[in-house]
Amino acid sequence: MATQRPERFDQVNWEEVAGAGRFSLSTNAKGLLVTTIPLLALAAYDWLVLDERTPTFEPVGLNVDVPILDYMFAFTLLLFAFYVVLPLYQHPRLTKYYWREFRRNRPAVVSLVWLGVVFVLGLVGPLLITSPEQNVLHSYQPPVYLSVNAANAATCAGEVVDGMCFGTWQYPLGTTRAGKGVFAMLVNGFGITLKIGFISTFIAVVLGASVGTVSAYAGGWVDEILMRYVDIQGSWPTLIMYLLIIYTFGGRLWLLILLLGTFSWEGMARYVRSKALSISEEEYIKAINMSGASAFRVVRRHVVPNSASSIITDITLLIPGFLLAEAQLSFLGLGDTSVDSWGQIIAGGRDALAFAPWIVLAPGLVLFLTILAFNFVGDALLDALNPEAAAEAER
Amino acid sequence: MGFTRYVTARVAWAGVVTFIIMTVTFVFIAFAPNPEVKRAATQAALQGGDPTEAVERVRELRGLDQPLHVRYIDYVTSIATLQWGWSTMRSQPVTAALVEALFYTAQYSVPWTLLTITIGPLVGLYSSANKYSWRDHVATGFAFFGYAIPNFFFAIILLLVFGVWLEWVPVIYRTTVPVFSVENAIQLVLPVFVLVTGSIGGLMRVSRNESSEYMNADFVKTARAKGVSPLRAYALHILRPTMVPLSTTMVGQLLLLFAGSSLLIEVVFSIPGLGRLLFEATIAQDTNLVLGSILVFVLVAVIGNLLQDITYTVLDPRISYDDR
Repeated sequence: MATQRPERFDQVNWEEVAGAGRFSLSTNAKGLLVTTIPLLALAAYDWLVLDERTPTFEPVGLNVDVPILDYMFAFTLLLFAFYVVLPLYQHPRLTKYYWREFRRNRPAVVSLVWLGVVFVLGLVGPLLITSPEQNVLHSYQPPVYLSVNAANAATCAGEVVDGMCFGTWQYPLGTTRAGKGVFAMLVNGFGITLKIGFISTFIAVVLGASVGTVSAYAGGWVDEILMRYVDIQGSWPTLIMYLLIIYTFGGRLWLLILLLGTFSWEGMARYVRSKALSISEEEYIKAINMSGASAFRVVRRHVVPNSASSIITDITLLIPGFLLAEAQLSFLGLGDTSVDSWGQIIAGGRDALAFAPWIVLAPGLVLFLTILAFNFVGDALLDALNPEAAAEAER
Repeated sequence: MGFTRYVTARVAWAGVVTFIIMTVTFVFIAFAPNPEVKRAATQAALQGGDPTEAVERVRELRGLDQPLHVRYIDYVTSIATLQWGWSTMRSQPVTAALVEALFYTAQYSVPWTLLTITIGPLVGLYSSANKYSWRDHVATGFAFFGYAIPNFFFAIILLLVFGVWLEWVPVIYRTTVPVFSVENAIQLVLPVFVLVTGSIGGLMRVSRNESSEYMNADFVKTARAKGVSPLRAYALHILRPTMVPLSTTMVGQLLLLFAGSSLLIEVVFSIPGLGRLLFEATIAQDTNLVLGSILVFVLVAVIGNLLQDITYTVLDPRISYDDR
């Protein structure tokens, strides 16, 4: 797609904007394809050539294994880069407008910075700081600058003054009962959070947008059945169902991510459906239909982009829900105990709350801040992306 | 379609939803590995018996050797006739266990619901009447705080501060105290407080945004010009249209919290209510009790949604019954 568009309408090269041939791909799609093919090749190589226990990069001398979940995660990251970040760069005028609107909400700007920190730490952190090892000698070390009664810590890693054990920079946020550093666990938890957020959201958006558009376009009994299903899913006590399924099949992270994504898209489907219905009444859609555009093209080029604002605001509500559900299930002891998610750290520190509150407080506060940040950002995005709603509310 | 017909159709649909959800649950449990059978096999193997024979015996005893459709019909009739079976975990009929648990759940749910539906809209209205003042900012900040802090985390922290450090409230829930007593009120303060802060935020936001739409509406201006007192203007002219969209959020929010947070809150505060019963039944793999408590949660959700739709049409006469 053209990055410098002419400012005047009559100078627009429509061939270039709309794509000349049937099979011409946009820059975004090309980029996604070019990056996804090596990823798929690596996944296929990992799955077909290497046996299960060989780490993925062993043939080139690196002892790095890539679990299946990470392929999914990488793919959703690529999608995010090519269909959220790149379009913002391609349309600088619109991006500036959104940013101007967004900036008016101060807490939202701060929240966006925090979410950026979560994103970067989650991507880079687990690569730099590996998951901490157990060290029973260093259990219940206090955070740096704080002190606890030395009787509570097995052996104090820092100085002991008057029977009080002081924290060290070796464990900036103290340690757990097993002597794992809370800070290192937390950083790994950022990575888990990103995976939950990205993959579950991807599943929910794909399902919600497809059901919404199919329902609106097919009409009749298809619409009726799909929307009735959406009703049922809406009145289903989901947490209880997760509890039952995860208890039966074991709390692996990928299962949880799959469940969260698969049973949370009903709101999105409703939005997209009503948007698709209202759009199909618009004059320009009638014009496009008359000039022979296929239903798929109308959906792809007009319905989905037009419902993007509601999809994005819905995502900012979905992700906190996912994080909360993971934390709740972990707290009940049903999460994946092999990963250091924030919920797992909270669950692990609960028994030691009275004398080692940092184990629960650190991940709890981070979880709280992240959910809060999503709420503020969602609020500001709603105003920025959907000025009609804002105007209505302010009137 | 008239109102009566709409309500009838809606009630019928609620019945269908319950039926579908319970069928799916049944199919799920029927195909999931049965713990009792596994336990019997292990036991037989340990005692030197024949595991296959033991499995057969348990399956016969539990009626699992019958074909699926026979078991399904059995299951549906027993649900309809309120014979929900015997709970092995509690050694009492499932219905009795549920009624007992409901007694404790109601003790915190009733004050929580009442407080939420009175305080939420009122604070939202107050907020929008004083829009962009410091009071509005405080209320908004509180709303966001309550909405964003994970309920169970908040509960743990409060229990640590007020139960362990300050010792103002008991750490362990006591079931022996009478319902209407000071001791009971004290031990229920924290759970109710946590749940109210969690559920009030969304309601406050919606009622603030919706009522600010009507603050300067023509009909409110007319009412004020005619000399209607401010209180009456707020209560009858602004609050009433606000309640229409609010009622949807209200029921939805409360239901979501009821199914999710009440479980966690009961686990944290060790209240022997419905949520904990379901959780413990799942852990103990007491199939009858799991099904029974799930049915209770499903019924609450379905009835809540039903009431929400009906109130919606009662409050807003413009909504046509045809396009729901």
